Formats: sequence, structure tokens, C-alpha cells
Amino acid sequence: MLEIGNARAPTCVRLATSLATKIVSDLGARVIKLEPFGGDPVRHKPPLLPDASGDEPSALFRFLNAGKTSLILPNESTAMRRSLEALLSGRVDGVFLEEGDPIRASLDESSVAVVEVAGWPTTMPTGRRLSGFTALALGGLLDMVGSPQREPLRLGGHQASYSAGLSAFTAFMALLTQRDAGHAAPPARISLIESVMWVNWKAIAGVDDTGGAPTREGDGSEFQVVRCLDGWIAVVFTVTEFNNLRDLVGSRCLHDERFATRAGRVAHIRELYEYLSPWFAVRTRAEVYAEAQARGVPLGPVCGPSDLLDDQQNAARDFIVPLNDPSLEGLRLPRLPVLWNGRGFAPPAPREPSSPTSFAP
Amino acid sequence: MKPLANVRVVDFGQLTAGANTSAMLADLGAEVIKVESASFMDLFRSMGSNQRDAHGWWNRSPQFRFTNRNKVGVALDAKKPEGRRLLQDLMAGADIVVENFRRGVMERLGLGYATIASRNPRIVFASISSQGETGPYRLHTSFGSTLEAMGGIAALTGYDNDKPVVSGPHVNYPDQVVSLFAAGIIIAALREARRTGKGAHLDISQREVTSFLIGEEILASSVDHKRSRLARRGNAEDGVMLQDCFRTMDQKWIALTLEDQADVERCLAIVGHSKNIRGRLVEWCMKRSAVEACDTLAAGGLAAGLVHNGTALSREHKLAGHTLVRRPNGEIVKGQPYSFGGQELKVNCDAPALGEHTELVLRNILGLDETAIQHLAALGVTRAEPVT
Repeated sequence: MLEIGNARAPTCVRLATSLATKIVSDLGARVIKLEPFGGDPVRHKPPLLPDASGDEPSALFRFLNAGKTSLILPNESTAMRRSLEALLSGRVDGVFLEEGDPIRASLDESSVAVVEVAGWPTTMPTGRRLSGFTALALGGLLDMVGSPQREPLRLGGHQASYSAGLSAFTAFMALLTQRDAGHAAPPARISLIESVMWVNWKAIAGVDDTGGAPTREGDGSEFQVVRCLDGWIAVVFTVTEFNNLRDLVGSRCLHDERFATRAGRVAHIRELYEYLSPWFAVRTRAEVYAEAQARGVPLGPVCGPSDLLDDQQNAARDFIVPLNDPSLEGLRLPRLPVLWNGRGFAPPAPREPSSPTSFAP
Repeated sequence: MKPLANVRVVDFGQLTAGANTSAMLADLGAEVIKVESASFMDLFRSMGSNQRDAHGWWNRSPQFRFTNRNKVGVALDAKKPEGRRLLQDLMAGADIVVENFRRGVMERLGLGYATIASRNPRIVFASISSQGETGPYRLHTSFGSTLEAMGGIAALTGYDNDKPVVSGPHVNYPDQVVSLFAAGIIIAALREARRTGKGAHLDISQREVTSFLIGEEILASSVDHKRSRLARRGNAEDGVMLQDCFRTMDQKWIALTLEDQADVERCLAIVGHSKNIRGRLVEWCMKRSAVEACDTLAAGGLAAGLVHNGTALSREHKLAGHTLVRRPNGEIVKGQPYSFGGQELKVNCDAPALGEHTELVLRNILGLDETAIQHLAALGVTRAEPVT
């Protein structure tokens, strides 16, 4: 497997490509990561690790690339092409590359599975710059999050890139299956904007359903986040769970006829939360979660990344695993989110020194 | 491209996480048989603004239509022994099973992995659940927003120094992304099953998928305990000079990212020099329409984009790329998040009415004759109208 970094690709595209090949690598494929001359700029992107020296202070880079073999391509185009040809003359099952890479044309006649990751759909002009943030905006997901009185809000992390990365992984698996059957496998193409739109399909179905677009609702939403003693709780319920939630909180005010139907609750959602909130304010996340689950109410304690490291469900499933890295002890990261006949998958120990090697045939 | 031609999927998928995963397999050429019953329909059939007073309301939900095209649909009551036996037979001849019930439901119905694998060891059985097959939370009740909170994304989402925010019922982000991963891992397991003759039980936790998508934050937190005290920062992003939404003269929003100092200089050259670039941008945007502001900033080499809503998206055919498919009757259904060789997704059939293909499947796949089919109908096993 080759992951070919294009020096001109925006960071948001690089993150998508790297996530897709990370999954393939963790599943056991040998991934050779070809970094542009000067190295993958993600090596210096936050979050940065404390006291990490050398080429890899970036937790982002390590998460995405642990277990891959890194090679730096020459800067000169003829030498770069020769290097790629040399690599492709060996056994290569798949190539992930980024939009605008001139190597794409030379792969058209090859039998390898080709996945191209881009920012924009082919149907749109692609000259404009894109960031993960503007991809969320253009794909409509930004409009759905936050308060209607305030600016649209991005989801934490790199969700435009990572949803595209998951799409690229699945497209690659489809290509391999097509090849298994002896059929030609045309190149797959994934764009960040399309992945965001695909994820955000309910916004379009909502227009179909009611004529109006659903949008961010802030404190008018049925699902809100309220404070508790040691943090926050996402209050989540449907018509099926409301009576259990009402009984859990135990406030007589919640029996008011305003709250007897879903339409009534939506119309008086702020009053509803005024009556709900005090119950949470005097309980911890663990207490709320235990009491809610006992009644079948799907309340969600807000867990930060640090909480996830010590979470008992994650521990029982060995979801957080050590990262074998001699340069810094104590690193832990999530394995792939699947148990396959009970087996988990995480980055293999580095085959070579993790710093990139210049490659010339 | 139909890489999954000659692959049969028995789809117990509900709502988005399960049904959407099967839809992705259908789009790649698999024969997907969606299993419901009169007493247990896909919950999407009951959503949206269906007119409950009109007959056939359960077949008119846009949410169901978006997610279940390219499938055939059967109504078989798994709670009745005759229905259960038929489903076991159907699964015994299948390549893939997809289910996202609460843990324990499939086992109680006699349709769990162990039962099916004993008859069909090559089966790839994908169990998509909230928290996984194992662990102390395995039976806990969750929705997508619950998992957005418990999986870590909500903690990283919110206005400056303000409370966490979830994407809410109109997105349910964890429900969406799980399909993108699950479909790929199912295909990987199918390739392995074909190679080795050994199937797989895939235990896919939506919470784990959600957490995986902030993997770098978990990794950083494992050695940097100060990160647990970091405040939320709105649309700002570490390592990015300025990133936010700005309101325009026509009361719309645009999104702008200034990645580095060079971007800041480019921006100042467009909006006018000021020590307070944010304030300057606010003023500059309020004097322009969203389209003009975006076009000007983009022409200056910056990453700027309109904040689209669902109405704009349904009109933006070019932007939608391959993600939407317009049917001959004018209706829209979901497309694919990728394309192969630039080809459009071919939608062969619309989402099935409840039980639309029951007889077809009983006759052509399970080999039942007319007498047996009528007997099942008389027992209520194949009833195709909801039990209310």
C-alpha cells in the first residue's frame, strides 16, 4: 500500500488520506507513506506532546501514522517520478493519493486500486482553497450545531477530514473486492464536501418532509446539555422515555399538561428544562448515569478525552491500548473501533525507525 | 462497479446506523433483504410528518426513503416460531447479516451469531451497538446524542468557555459515521471469509467509533494531564490563526479559515489593514452579501465558504456531487459518499413498502409453495400492515 502525500494538498485532505491508510495499516497491511520533500506538515500540527523532541512532537501525526513506513521523496520531478516507478514495480495493492497529484495519470493503466482524496466534488470548480471548517460549512453540518442566535459551530476534532477518511477506507475495500473478482476497478474518488453532505443527509430529508430546513436549535432543542456536580450531562429522550425521565427527576411540575405531549414539550422546552435542571445540579455524572440507566433513560454524561482513558467500559473492552513508541513512554490511543471475532487492531510496533528516510532508487 | 454482486445481505438494520450500513452494501451491488414485521417496523417509518390518518402512512417517510433504496423488503414476525425458522433459513444462505438491535435481542429471537454460524460458518455477522457486545455498559440505553457526549466529541464542541454542545436529533453524528466505517470493515471480513472459509462476528460499538474520531486528543491526553482542563473555544482551532463564522449583510453566515500569517496578510489586503482583524472582518462582512464576501475572500486565495442549510443543499446539485440521487418522480434519495470512475449511483428500486417482497423472497429464495405462503399469512407471520 502506498500513501502518496501531495505537497500542494490542503491539510484537511491530508488528514483524510492518512486516516484511511491508518485503518488499513492497523488491519495488517504494510503502508508506505511517501511524504513530500520537506516532510508531511502534519508532523508539526497540534495537539503537541509535552517534552517530545525530534521529528514528531505531534499527537495528530502519531495517531494517524504510527506503524507506517515513512519515506521522503526527492524534490526534483524526474527523480520523484523514478522513485515512484521503482516503488510501483514491486507488489503494490493500492495507492491512496491526493487531488492534483501528477502521478495519477501514470496509474490509469495500472492494476492497482487507486483512491483519490479531494476537497471538492468533481462537479464544482476546484480552484478554491478549502479547510476542514469551510467543508463543514459548505456541506451544511456547521448550520446544524450551536444556537440560532449565535454563529454556527464546528464539531470538535477534524470531523470533515475523518468522515472522508472513513469513506476512503470503505471505497478502498470495495475496489479490492472488485479486483478479487477479476474485474477492472476504476479509481475511487472521495471529497470532503461530499462526505459532510452525506453525513448531513437529514437536513435535506427534513426539507423534503416539512418544506423547511432543520437547523441548529440551541436551548430550543429537545436535547440539551445541563450542568451537574462534576461536569455536564446530555439530556436525551424521545416520547418513549419521557415518562421515565419525569419519574426519575420526580418534580410534580413535570406532570403539568404543557408537557403531556411532545408538541407541548417542544413548545415549552425552556420551562421544561427549568424544572429538569435542578435535579442534575446536585448529582455527579456517575450518579446521574446509574439512576438514568436503571430507568432506561439514555442520558449521556459528557466525557472528555481524559475521561475516556479510564472509562470502565473502554477498559473492559481494551479499547485504549499502549502505543509502542520508544521515544515517549505512556502513550495510549484508541484501537480500531471493531472487535473481529473478539480481536482488536492497533498500530503495530514500528518496523523501522519512525523518522522518515529519504528514498531514491 | 458492483463488487458485491452475488452477495446476499440479511438486513435487520434500524434507523441510520444499521439500515444505512446495509444501504451502502446494496449500492455496491449486494442483494439486501430488509427484514421488518408488522409489530416491529424500522422506526424511520414512523418519523417525519407522516399523515397518520391516511392509509399507508408507514410507506411515506422521507427518512425511510432516503436510507432504504436499493433493497427488497420482507415482513416476517420473528416472535412466531414459523417466522423465526424462515429467518434462520434465510440467514443460513446469506453472506452477511447486519443488525443494530439492543444487545441480547437477536439471541432471544434465536437469531444470534452462534446459532447462525453453526449452520453457516462463512457468515459475516455485523453487530452494531451503542457500547459493544461486552463490558458493563453493553445493555445500556443510548441514542446518537448520548454517545456523542460519552464518546468525547461533545466535550470538544461548544462556544468560548461555554458548555458542551451535541449535534442534536437532526444530525445524531455518531449514527452517521458508524456506517462509513462498518461498511468497510464488513467488506474486509467478507474478503477474509471468501479466502479462508471462516466468517466473522464483527462487534462494532458506536461509542468507540465516535472516540476513534478524536483519537489524537485521546493520545495527547494520555501523557498531558493538563489537557483535561482545556476550555472550549468555539470555532477556533489550535495552530490556526483565526477561524470563525461571520454574518453578512443579507443575514447569512460565511465561514473563514486563516491558517497562518500569510493568510492573515492576504485577508488584511482584502478587508483593509487593522490591528483588530476580527473586528475589521465583522464590519467588512456586514457591508456585503454572503456570496460577494465569500467570492472576494476566495479570489484572494483564502479558504472561505457559505454556511449552507438544508434548503440550499437540496438546490445545490453541483455541490451534492454523488451524495444525492434524484429519482424519475422528482424525489431525492441518498447517494454515496464516494464515486468510482466518476459514475453516478444507480438506484434500481425505491425503498420497499412494508412486506413488499415477502412472497417473492419466500417463493424464490426459500422455495415455499403457494399453500405454505397462504398458511403463513393466515398465522399472521407475514402481515404487512402495522399492528397499532
